[in-house]
Amino acid sequence: MVEIALGTALAAIGAGVAIGFAGLGSGLGQGMAAAGSVGAVAEDNDMFARGIIFSALPETQAIYGFLIAILLLVFSGLLGGGKGLSMEAGLVAIGVGASIGFAGLGSGMGQGIAASSSVGAIVEDNDMFARGIIFSALPETQAIYGFLIAILLMVFGGILG
Amino acid sequence: MADELASLITALGFTQETFIVFVILAIVVIGAVVVIITSRPILDIYPYLNPSSRVRARKGRLFDEKQISEIVESNNIEEVENYLKGVPEYADVLDEYPLDKALDVERANTYDFIARLAPKEVKAPFVVMSKKSDINNIKSLITAKEIGLNAEETKELLIPSGSLYDELSSLADAESVTDIITSLDGTEYATALEDALPAYEEKKMTLPLESALDKYYLGALLRSTDVPADENTQIVYSYVGTQVDVDNLKLILRAKEDGLNYDDISEYILEDGYQLREWKLKDLMDSPDVTNVVSGLEGTKYSEALTDVVPQYNETGSVAVFERALDVYVAEHAKSLSSKKPLGVGPIIGYLSQKESEIKNLKIIARAKREADFPNSKIMEMLV
Repeated sequence: MVEIALGTALAAIGAGVAIGFAGLGSGLGQGMAAAGSVGAVAEDNDMFARGIIFSALPETQAIYGFLIAILLLVFSGLLGGGKGLSMEAGLVAIGVGASIGFAGLGSGMGQGIAASSSVGAIVEDNDMFARGIIFSALPETQAIYGFLIAILLMVFGGILG
Repeated sequence: MADELASLITALGFTQETFIVFVILAIVVIGAVVVIITSRPILDIYPYLNPSSRVRARKGRLFDEKQISEIVESNNIEEVENYLKGVPEYADVLDEYPLDKALDVERANTYDFIARLAPKEVKAPFVVMSKKSDINNIKSLITAKEIGLNAEETKELLIPSGSLYDELSSLADAESVTDIITSLDGTEYATALEDALPAYEEKKMTLPLESALDKYYLGALLRSTDVPADENTQIVYSYVGTQVDVDNLKLILRAKEDGLNYDDISEYILEDGYQLREWKLKDLMDSPDVTNVVSGLEGTKYSEALTDVVPQYNETGSVAVFERALDVYVAEHAKSLSSKKPLGVGPIIGYLSQKESEIKNLKIIARAKREADFPNSKIMEMLV
């Protein structure tokens, strides 16, 4: 069996939390946005491109989670074979994962609801496109906060650098 | 720091492996709690996302005030038809049927569309609404037989919609109204029609049969929503209940205008109304005249809409002004309900109500355009 340091094992849990919860939020959000978009496209073929844009918006949370998870795997030594993490750094890594994971969960679901609603508004009134994008982009901020804090935790928690 | 943590873990009785298992379990429990709490609202709105987009797409294609004005300004009925043929929603049905029938078919198609689309928890009332085509077809069949139309003329009156359409078409050559009712044995309308048959045979009028069908429809509509479990079903109940009350009120106003008393119309009224229960309806029918019916509604949500048009009624002497005011009230009530649950049943109700108003308005315009020199300003006043 491969010998893994406790800190590295904790960082692996952090990576799982990061992509797991962020991906869950992103998936739920994207599912909602896509459900609305399919309805719109069923009635108006011209909505396909705009439906894709709104359905793609909640993808970002999964990307943030994925990036953080990769960084954790690389800098904890699981990928690339570097030195393992101390136990304190491992606990910090769980905080890193929780930060982007839970922020991505809330942000993704919120964005999905807003995006689905925006698609409904646009298919009813074309002029709503720009305003729909603005409203749908608003819940992105929570994911950005989570992502920033995750990076800061990695930098100042001894995982990065 | 590392030593302190290691000694803390040891003091808690954990080995390194059991500590990792503990951390995993803690995260799983926290995660599960977060997911359950956050997914509940999602589960509520998820079934409505696709239907909402579909009805909002169709809502966006409804006529706005400018387009309605353009149709009203048409010089004759042919121009109205040509205008509608340029609109995808009406083009197909107008290719197959004359204007009035095309509008009825479009209305039936709309209700069928909503009945298919509505999420399970609110589907029942919309399915009942979609059966209105069957009821209208039975009424047409009975009327056609009563006035002696032949099979071909009778078939022309039927709207090609509803689950009974084929069966009703085959009844176009029935010998009599009684034969039609006997042939409908086994359908959900059999009991209502058979109960009203003696009254028809006695009075030699189709009114008891038509009223029995209307009463059956309103009862089924109210029963389909009478256990509102959440906000969506409460909204549907309010929408449906208001329609039932308004239909009862229209019947009472007409009866008062014709000088009838409660016993004359009690069998046609749905006693178990929404806000206007049996005692209130009886109270209203005991009013000496139409204006007293309106004042008797004080304290109910229908009072303001009707009181506002009393001066118009005093001028014209026709209860049509009250009927129009009630139609406007139903449309406005539906509009306010539609904004209550934008990620729920709201858009469905908003679209259905606006489409119903649009078709009513097109029928009013079509009727007016068939009359020579009917003023456009008068048509605008008549629109819902």
